[in-house]
Amino acid sequence: MALNTGRLLRVDLSGGKVAAETIPESIAADFVGGRGYGIRYLYEELPPGIDPLGEKNKLIMLNGPLAGNKAQAVSRWMVCTRSPLTGAFARSACGADFGAWLKFAGYEVIIVEGKAEKPVYLHLTPDGCEILDAGEIWGQNTGETQAWLNERHGKNTRTACIGPAGENLVKYAAIVSDRRTAGRCGTGTVLGSKNLKAIAITAQRNVQLADPEAYDKLAKEQVNIIKNNGAFQSHKEWGTTATQDITNGIGIYPVRNFRYGQHIDYEKITGEEYRKLRTGDMGCYSCPARCGKVHTVASGIYAGAHSEGPEYETIWAFTGPIESSSIEASIAADQLCDDFGLDTISTGGCIGFAYELYEKGLLKKSDTDGLELTYGSHEPMVALVKKIAMREGIGDLLAEGTMRAAASIGKGAEACAIHVKGLELPAYEPRGAKSQGYNYVTANIGANHCYGYAAQDIFGAPFPRPTDRFSEENADVVIFNQDGTASKETGIVCGFSGGWGWADELFGKLLAAARGVKDFEDKDYINKVGERMFNLERAFNVREGFDRKQDTLPKRMLTEPLHTRKAPGEGQIVSHQDEFLDKYYSLRGWSKEGIPTPEKLKEIGLDFVLKDMPVK
Amino acid sequence: MSIGVNLPPFLQQLAEDVKRVDVRGGTVGECLEELVGRYPRLKPRIFAGDGRLAKGLSVYINGENAYPGELARPVRDGDNLHLAHLIFGG
Repeated sequence: MALNTGRLLRVDLSGGKVAAETIPESIAADFVGGRGYGIRYLYEELPPGIDPLGEKNKLIMLNGPLAGNKAQAVSRWMVCTRSPLTGAFARSACGADFGAWLKFAGYEVIIVEGKAEKPVYLHLTPDGCEILDAGEIWGQNTGETQAWLNERHGKNTRTACIGPAGENLVKYAAIVSDRRTAGRCGTGTVLGSKNLKAIAITAQRNVQLADPEAYDKLAKEQVNIIKNNGAFQSHKEWGTTATQDITNGIGIYPVRNFRYGQHIDYEKITGEEYRKLRTGDMGCYSCPARCGKVHTVASGIYAGAHSEGPEYETIWAFTGPIESSSIEASIAADQLCDDFGLDTISTGGCIGFAYELYEKGLLKKSDTDGLELTYGSHEPMVALVKKIAMREGIGDLLAEGTMRAAASIGKGAEACAIHVKGLELPAYEPRGAKSQGYNYVTANIGANHCYGYAAQDIFGAPFPRPTDRFSEENADVVIFNQDGTASKETGIVCGFSGGWGWADELFGKLLAAARGVKDFEDKDYINKVGERMFNLERAFNVREGFDRKQDTLPKRMLTEPLHTRKAPGEGQIVSHQDEFLDKYYSLRGWSKEGIPTPEKLKEIGLDFVLKDMPVK
Repeated sequence: MSIGVNLPPFLQQLAEDVKRVDVRGGTVGECLEELVGRYPRLKPRIFAGDGRLAKGLSVYINGENAYPGELARPVRDGDNLHLAHLIFGG
């Protein structure tokens, strides 16, 4: 069985050069692939202190060792870079077919360096990579861009691209492929800063596995496990378009910029209401779930709006922050975000921030280009999406994200900026699901829901142990979730498939068959890789100046009681953050300041990091 | 003979806000039947129309996933069942 570590494509936009490299066995052994490769290369190659939007930043696109084959829900792809929104490590994942196509072209990693003098795109095939002129598509939206590239390079082409938001350097611009997005942390902004409009891949299916026979046998086993699993069937039926039924029910659906935990007109935004507008479904390569539910608005002021989505986070982003009950507006806003290439979560968060400032008189009609930002009023929300993408008027300020916008406005606006490390919070109220909240606090990319999803608090998952969702004594569970997620993201496993019953038993075996490394069958080995990845990401942030000071929820969660309206949790605040961090750091093997200790770094094979860590 | 059934947050509100209910039964299915008999509002959330476990709901016996064949799994005195919605949200 031949070792298969994967290949890397290095693209130097400044010099106009491309080169292929083989990934060393030592990196494959210690970091497996996917996000592991991402942080390993980023840490080694990115000097600390560089401008995230400068020529020296690098953007790494990755698939995983399992991508592009018969195994299900493992063909996602990912971007790692230094975030222009947070200044921290960035990781943003995406579905559709692009991850598989990258594998078909023969690569697991693309490292983009430098900056092109004028707009360009990459065209990648199994025979090579060209840097081509993108003048004709600069300024076009993501759908138009993909259509243009398909026309030029043929139907076997898949593209990841930016829209006008990335070109305009909106701090939370996304990279879009088909109608899926690598949304978080401003990865599209980095692409825009490099004048790189798109990466188009033309290729056909081919197998790159160390042991194809063993792999296919495991993939069949996986399909047999999945097909009758109730969680899978539910996901196939609903996607995440009904998750709000649960989160609103238990009082953790953030409303009015995270002041309430339930929507006052919830019955208008249920999963069933979205289902009435459903007109189809879409899926990712080699996944039977087809969880992207397509919605179309037939009448009213948003007639014609059409989107793959909104899914749960986006449903929330365009109903919760401003307490709108217009599902039609949420579909229109989702479509605009996909077209312009915007992260829906940060976009919704920034708009909710603006509405609260308007309520408090910190923004006036003269500041908002005449828009009246009153709760429940959705037309200004949809207008703001475009303004943000194009940096028009008030949109120019909001395009900076809540942290920078609040600092610019002053006058107490910081109290309304709901972010961790600069990344806007997603759709789970921390005061009603505190392990989820502490995941936001300690996640290396800032407030992200799927960096260590607390299914224990939210859905009652009993592993590694059950939790009380209002308790702040679950540091061990937060670590379990974060390291478990990291280990699965060596193969960029779809997080949704975690509940389908296959991963614990088969993930490591699939990795072993794909790579030809027997060690990967050992769950402890893979879990240790996850811990190593998480610590290296933390070390990356420490090297950039992060420590305990940035590990905090927004002040609102620490001082203002949650109002749930009817659900349990009324009056909850997060009151023991310092004690939580002490415990979390201790369990991690970090100092009181949140710095990985030399002992821990040596234990997990990160000796090369020692020289970069301050003594605190 | 007593089996503990632990409810996820969303189902607690349909069972008078209790987090755990002690029931009797020789299988997971019998335990859940007793549960919904005591709290009828839970029934459509726990059982599908055909009597199978509702889609999206998972059952754990002492922390181990009972899939496949959840409802027929035998249980013993002192066992702990956990119901969980493993749908995740993204």
